[in-house]
Amino acid sequence: MLGQTIVNGLLTGGLYAIAAIGFSMVWGVMGIINMAHGSFIMLGAYVSYIVFAGLGIDPFASLPLTMAVLFVLGYLVQRLLLNRLMRTSLLLSLVLTFGLDLVLINLCLLVFSADLRSVNTAYTSQSLALGPLLVPIVRLAVFLLALMLAGGFYLFLNRAKAGQAILATALDKETARLMGIDPLKVYALTAGAGAALAGAAGSFASMLYPISPNMGLTFIGSVFVITVLGGIGSIEGAVLAGLLYGLIQSFAASLLGVNYEEIVAFVMFLVILVLRPQGLLGKRFYGEPV
Amino acid sequence: MMPLRLARWSGLALALALMVAAPLVIGGYWLRILTSIYMYAVVAQGLNVIVGFAGYHAFGNVVFFGLGAYIVGVAVTLGAPLALAIVLAPIGAMLAAAVLGWPLLRLKGHYFAIATVALNLAMNDLIINVGGVTGGAEGLPMPLGTLAPEALNELVYFLMLGAMVASALIVLWLSRSPLGYALRALKDSALGAEVMGINTTLAKTLAWALSAGMTGTVGGIWGYWINFLEPGSAFDIGISVNGYIMMLVGGMGTVLGPVIGAFFLETVSTIIWGEFIKVHLLILGLLIILVVMLLPEGLLFHFRRLVPRRKAAP
Repeated sequence: MLGQTIVNGLLTGGLYAIAAIGFSMVWGVMGIINMAHGSFIMLGAYVSYIVFAGLGIDPFASLPLTMAVLFVLGYLVQRLLLNRLMRTSLLLSLVLTFGLDLVLINLCLLVFSADLRSVNTAYTSQSLALGPLLVPIVRLAVFLLALMLAGGFYLFLNRAKAGQAILATALDKETARLMGIDPLKVYALTAGAGAALAGAAGSFASMLYPISPNMGLTFIGSVFVITVLGGIGSIEGAVLAGLLYGLIQSFAASLLGVNYEEIVAFVMFLVILVLRPQGLLGKRFYGEPV
Repeated sequence: MMPLRLARWSGLALALALMVAAPLVIGGYWLRILTSIYMYAVVAQGLNVIVGFAGYHAFGNVVFFGLGAYIVGVAVTLGAPLALAIVLAPIGAMLAAAVLGWPLLRLKGHYFAIATVALNLAMNDLIINVGGVTGGAEGLPMPLGTLAPEALNELVYFLMLGAMVASALIVLWLSRSPLGYALRALKDSALGAEVMGINTTLAKTLAWALSAGMTGTVGGIWGYWINFLEPGSAFDIGISVNGYIMMLVGGMGTVLGPVIGAFFLETVSTIIWGEFIKVHLLILGLLIILVVMLLPEGLLFHFRRLVPRRKAAP
């Protein structure tokens, strides 16, 4: 029982981590809180669903396509809307992305209706039995892929030239500009990458949860908590916090009942904010010193 | 200068007289719309105090709205008279803001904004899990009053109107009081305000309590009005967001901006609601994006640029 609770928590935690990394990056690098991040996840799930229902392609196989579609969306939103706002007031980005969230959710309601959809592959309900523990195959695959994507993104930031440009802009926009980096391009790239990761999370979620235009709302709360717990803008922090969050929720659900999952999360969130606002692995980033 | 000031005050008095007389002429649908305009004007005014003056973006301020609604709901269900219940709502909300503000107002910028959103979600879940006298997830049906529906609507109309006038007067007082100057100093620079000898913790806690009191009052009246409380609708973050947009549209940090914004946005969204019921949230979302992109300083700001207020001193 204890072992199963831990396995469930960790596996869900992997999905949470990938759902949070893009949000955390966007916040850390630009100081923008993207309230539409949940909708990006939802759109990722719908892209996977459409490809699966229309062409019969497995969501794992269509992952690059899903990520590419969301990258373009994130890139354009940043270029056309948010980049202009950043010169006036950053906090307005919260309001703007809330409006964007409304638009995306209601567009999807219009196009797809509120019906619940699902992606059922041949292996959806299969599990591996490891001694007394049951490990669902899809969850395990999602967990492993999520960690690989997180690792890949970490390498991209720390090794690739474009990744270095993102980090440099996050640390000091003016100096980055002097080095010939165009911050507005870097911002659009960051937003695109953040949206692509949200798309990946949505693609994974399409295989695990019912798909509906409102599904992003169930993610956005958890994403906030994980971002703050892990430290804003920190990828390794988001992974650690995602796993921890999955564990805490899993234990809260098994000890207190499913209804307490969320309340435990939010109480935890408020406590972190007050006691350790920089999070577990937070560094000083553009996202405001505390 | 006198004629302009006189004109402004008499214009306001005329508008107020029209609003007081409105129930004689209109009823039903339009009265309810005016009532919700007044309600949102107070929500926007509450945000104006904490965001416009103090610079703390309390995105989840709706938590006090829900709290006020539940205080009235529970009090009336337990048999308290309406007058007492409506007085308890702001008191409860102010106390909550004072107690929660002490730790939360130490957070800055985004962190505070997000903490208030989390607070709202936590309160929502708390009501669901506490259950009992709050009705929990199933909602709280309140005992039917003795008033006929028409009379109830009129009573609520005047309560909301009163709340709107009171909140505007409070903001007018605030804009000229030492507290208001302290808050504006705080907004520009917390350290600078501190150096000037302002007790910043006290000032911002007072501001949030004031904001919570306003929001809690209309939350309470609203709770009595709809007579059936659900956590999801009482703590609906959309209420804060609407208020926020109204404050932006009207102009934050001004006395009448939030009121003008409430009239503007509610009228527009009522028209949208009537014309395009299926896509009204979509259009509202687009409207939010447009307001933020095009009018971040508010309508009053642009209006003032057109009508110069006074000539420069010689």
